Amino acid sequence: MRKIFPPNELARDERFVRTKIEDRVFDPRNAAMMERDLGSAKLEPSRPAAADRARSLMHGIFVGEIQALEGAGRTCFDFDEDDAPFALKLDMARQCWDESRHVEISVKLGEWMGSEIGEFTESTFLYEAACADDPVLRLCGVNRALEGLAIDVFNAMKEFGDVAGDPVLEFCEDWMLADEVTHVKMGSDWLRRLTEKDPERRNRALEFQRTVDKIFSLGGFRGESDENPVHLARKFRRMAGFDEAEMDDLVEISKQAQADAEAMAAAAAEGGGAYGA
Amino acid sequence: MPAITVAPDPFTLVPYDASTIAQLTAEAAALVGFPDDVAVTLEVDEVLPHPLTGTFVAVGPEGLDIWMSGANFEDPKRPLKFQPELALSELVRALLRAADRLRPEFSGAPTDEDLTDRQRAAWDVWTEGRAHRLGVPATRPDRLLYHYRLHHGFNDVADEVFRRLWDADALTWPEIDEACAETDAADTRERPKKTALRKEQLRAPRPSA
Ligand SMILES: [Fe+2]
Ligand SMILES: [Fe+2]
Repeated sequence: MRKIFPPNELARDERFVRTKIEDRVFDPRNAAMMERDLGSAKLEPSRPAAADRARSLMHGIFVGEIQALEGAGRTCFDFDEDDAPFALKLDMARQCWDESRHVEISVKLGEWMGSEIGEFTESTFLYEAACADDPVLRLCGVNRALEGLAIDVFNAMKEFGDVAGDPVLEFCEDWMLADEVTHVKMGSDWLRRLTEKDPERRNRALEFQRTVDKIFSLGGFRGESDENPVHLARKFRRMAGFDEAEMDDLVEISKQAQADAEAMAAAAAEGGGAYGA
Repeated sequence: MPAITVAPDPFTLVPYDASTIAQLTAEAAALVGFPDDVAVTLEVDEVLPHPLTGTFVAVGPEGLDIWMSGANFEDPKRPLKFQPELALSELVRALLRAADRLRPEFSGAPTDEDLTDRQRAAWDVWTEGRAHRLGVPATRPDRLLYHYRLHHGFNDVADEVFRRLWDADALTWPEIDEACAETDAADTRERPKKTALRKEQLRAPRPSA
């Protein structure tokens, strides 16, 4: 059986539609959107289109859970025990079990919120980060960067459920959040253990993590200002092995990603509209 | 058929076609039984992407003005793609609410801009229930229920009022307002201290722009 399974061959039925991150980055509406005063971007029940935004985010979580399951499963299989010790594979197997439950919870939460499987698009970026050929890179790119983002997103959704008085959403997000803290901590612990005597490998992995963090900041999706829909969940990140300097760095990465997106949108706008006149 | 004007024409940011939208508006007007002598002006805000949806109707001496986010017509699975089924459903709902506003029983209703989220959500339930009974596609009670619960609360009283509003054949503005008072009394949630940010903000330019 082949190692490193390509993202475009992941099994999906006809309900799923793929999208690329670039499609969002180069959307011709971006520049004009930035001229709008939409106020706080924080996900709150009183914000415009709150139900649609929450459903869309929930669907993003759902496809992320599927890919986290696929990625952790691949890590159990893709490496021999010299590259990935048995205890690491055991952690990944446990993660598979958690992610399976998260997939089921997400499907039910989607239904509860009036959504359905495949209502929104799927980007396979999470799984792509799980295709790195070094398990330490996978642990940094997936467990630390993307599941770290999951901590922030689950925390934001939990708060949304709390403010809205939606007990189902709040409860489910809280349970999944607890598991994600464990998954991120696995990333932090294994990074330390596997690179104890190899600082160069550690730096390479942390650099990969920064790259993933920047791409997934999606032009200001996550940060600590009013313009960011999802805020950094510092308390839970601390529990998962992040130190303050790393979290400050993450806020900087997010700001940079936002500035880059604004620059790209402005450059695209200079080229004129995409359709018609 | 009422006179229908769609703006912008042409669209420059999204591949929407003004004449297709005008045709769908005419179809929706026929389904709803919207009066022929009220001119309809529809402005589609092509800047807003899914999921930033929003609709406002205003009836005045010049006729009916509808403002709609471009996101209301956009396929959630395929960014920028116009979805005719969804557009028809959105237009039917906007015209049903506008037709309500033409009736004397709704003379006391605040403008769309001044409706509270609770009032608007209640009116939307009645509107979508009627659209559903007209056989309009893309009307889903389960979907609307979540939006409604965000504004009316997650409790049995709110759910019972939802069913009543959805099934109602004829309502007046005071009856919709009374339904809101009923859910408000059963709503134990902490109310936001700051003024809720409203949908009209979707339209506002940045102060410096
Ligand atoms: Fe998960
Ligand atoms: Fe996870």
